[in-house]
Amino acid sequence: MRWAWIALALALLAYPLVFTSPFYQDAGALVLLAAISASAWNVVGGYAGQISVGHAMFYGAGAYLPLLLHQHWHLPPILGVPLAIAVSLALALVVGFPTFRLQGHYFSMATLAVAELIRIVVSNWELLGAAIGLQGPAVSKNWWDLTFRSAVPYYYIFLAVLALLLYVTWHMQESRLGYYLRAIRSGERAARSLGVPVRRYKLFALMLSATFTSLAGSLYAFKTGFVDPESGLGILVSVQMIIIAALGGTGTLLGPLLGAVILVPLQTTTNTLFGGGGAGLTFIVYGGIIVLIARFEPGGLLELWHRLTAPRTRRAPAPRHAA
Amino acid sequence: MLLSAEKVTKRFAGFTAVAEADLMVEEGEIVGLIGPNGAGKSTFFNCVAGDLTPTSGRIRFAGVDVTHAPAEAHARLGIGRTFQVPATFEEMTILDNVMVGAYLRHHGWRAARAKALQVLEMTGLKDQAELRAKSLGTPGRKRLEIARVLASEPRLMLLDEALAGLTPSEIQRAIALVRDIHKLGITIVIVEHIMEVILTLAQRVLVFNQGRVIASGKPQEVIDDPAVIEAYLGRGHGRAARQP
Amino acid sequence: MILLQVIVGGLLLGAVYALLSSGLTLIWGMMNFINFAHGEFVMIGMYVAFVIVVALGVGPGIFGLAAAIGLFILGVAIYFALIRAVMRGPMLAQILSTFGLALLLRYTAFWIFTPNFRTLPQTSLTGTINLGGILLNVAQLAAGLVAAALTLALHLLLTRTAIGSQLLAVAEDRQAAMLMGIRPDRMQALAWGLSAASAGIAGALMAISYPFSPAVGETFALTAFVVVTLGGFGSVPGALLAGLLVGLIQALSAYYFGPVYKDVIVYGLFVALLWLRPQGLLGTA
Repeated sequence: MRWAWIALALALLAYPLVFTSPFYQDAGALVLLAAISASAWNVVGGYAGQISVGHAMFYGAGAYLPLLLHQHWHLPPILGVPLAIAVSLALALVVGFPTFRLQGHYFSMATLAVAELIRIVVSNWELLGAAIGLQGPAVSKNWWDLTFRSAVPYYYIFLAVLALLLYVTWHMQESRLGYYLRAIRSGERAARSLGVPVRRYKLFALMLSATFTSLAGSLYAFKTGFVDPESGLGILVSVQMIIIAALGGTGTLLGPLLGAVILVPLQTTTNTLFGGGGAGLTFIVYGGIIVLIARFEPGGLLELWHRLTAPRTRRAPAPRHAA
Repeated sequence: MLLSAEKVTKRFAGFTAVAEADLMVEEGEIVGLIGPNGAGKSTFFNCVAGDLTPTSGRIRFAGVDVTHAPAEAHARLGIGRTFQVPATFEEMTILDNVMVGAYLRHHGWRAARAKALQVLEMTGLKDQAELRAKSLGTPGRKRLEIARVLASEPRLMLLDEALAGLTPSEIQRAIALVRDIHKLGITIVIVEHIMEVILTLAQRVLVFNQGRVIASGKPQEVIDDPAVIEAYLGRGHGRAARQP
Repeated sequence: MILLQVIVGGLLLGAVYALLSSGLTLIWGMMNFINFAHGEFVMIGMYVAFVIVVALGVGPGIFGLAAAIGLFILGVAIYFALIRAVMRGPMLAQILSTFGLALLLRYTAFWIFTPNFRTLPQTSLTGTINLGGILLNVAQLAAGLVAAALTLALHLLLTRTAIGSQLLAVAEDRQAAMLMGIRPDRMQALAWGLSAASAGIAGALMAISYPFSPAVGETFALTAFVVVTLGGFGSVPGALLAGLLVGLIQALSAYYFGPVYKDVIVYGLFVALLWLRPQGLLGTA
């Protein structure tokens, strides 16, 4: 299997060098960005099985804080990145700490409520640009502005962050944290009976997820140089993470990347084909896809592939007792 | 005294499931809990395991008061349990299921895996290690649950109807496994309906009825106790049993 | 005086929130399932009223009934087409199913009706009346009273009728209910129908006085979540009490802090509730 990984890595590294038109390079960067936030969501939503529908709060924090530092206090936006992560971790605790000892629905409802609460507050707060939003550096004066004219530097930065996130996820997967999270997702009561400190591990997962989601938001702000309540904190930000992870396969390492590779170009295409109305159609389709995934194949495309290609397993024979 | 449950009472909104039940278990014993359906055995069991908090009473394990401790804490102290309806991690492999148990005492992947494989060997599941748990039938799942909790190296194992629904030959195999576990030095409390199992395995038996412990003693004594017969079969039979 | 008016207005809207949420809490109590598309049921109720009024020019009684029947059918259909299947699946599927459904319904409504806010044409419920010095909008008064009555009716249906006790039996213990000859499937479908219908009527009632757009579903869903949590798992009387309270808090927030923050305060209350008393007013820890 080693060769498959190497091939993938090479393909990703070579992409902008092969497809040299700015349109394709930009598209590639967007795919990677979507893969980062979906992979980050996947840590808590896929692996731990705690469905957040308000992850935009972390993304928005990551996008707003660097631009806030720049626009109001003329500080290097990059300083906003760790600040945003700190804010996101605080939000994760506020939302997760009370709800992780209750049934799963409470957590989901709370994420929706808090994300919406923040969006309304930000929309009405002058300091944060209210409905208009915030802007980043127009021209690049220093390296830390991270304002590039070409999409290629962004592409490689995003690729590096994605690689880091996937490495961290992979490492977690094979560790006690990963096993415990899967156990929590499969059966909390049984997990507890085996000594798994359920609330603590759910919080770990959420905080890890929030960190990388915040980072994704920051990367978005650096690339587009702009954020407003819709693009940073809107429900569709949360929806996109969920659908990309779910389509590819939640709880798998490469599912979110697969989902991003499929959906981001699709979304760009429908937007171009149908113009403004296309956005509306896209979300009808998204809703439909989520329902279909939930109804027929919650494991996403990777699970579907696994089911179609795995050998038919007979019912296991009665276990022999070792005499 | 490894486990001492004193005057444990559990009430649910006006309904008393368990009333002042006592259970003392010495290290190394095998104790059976029997009683008709709805007698409160499972509720009592869940209190000892930490799934439920008693309304009143006290539970001490290895000198520690665990009455209000959560289930995770019970497990860490050394109380392991299986579930009446097997709660295996369906989508995980059999090996991974057992590893979750092993991770309680072994923090690294390699050590947990080695422990899990060892337990799978002992319980006869090694050949199916890479299959998903959901591919097992009920007897397999029950066996997997036992393996999983065994990997967490408990001092006390609570088996909740682990032998229900098995064929006679499977029952024999399961009894042998329970004996092997006991030989490892693990104390066992077993809830069971199948009299044969209780008579064969348990050194001592408690009988529950309507939330109370109505009899306790050696298996044979308890089975002949008129109060017990009455609990299972009704008034007339009890009276009949009392006739000299 | 103004304050008293604000309070009464808040309680009347709160009664509508109670009706809206009672269906959600019924489903939660019965099936341990939170319907993330519940807000969209309310929104659809508003648009059913709209379409009926525009097409047929009838009064509130008719379009209210239309909303009830239409949503009842939708609720049952959704149960059989989607919910029944995902109930057997993992939590991810359960939560995503209604979340996806909410998006589907919301954006289809956007597409059909555009994002513009609309209002219903004048109905027979116009004007204001003066109750002891308080000026009340007739439509809002009627909506509040009808909503309160319907919520109580739902409660009585559940606790005093044969079919209600069957529904509660399934909620209490599915297996036992089956042994008694009750069909859980049918009862659950009925519950979905009732849940959607009550949301739809609430929507129609609100449409009389307030402008609406396809976007309002999300806000109603969150309001319902707060009411249901505050009122306690599965409790319709709890939902009534909590609905009134939430309506009141919202009205007072708007009065003291401005209309922008009326929802923010309620959502903030929700978070505080989760920290301090997640079982709600009437629940036990």
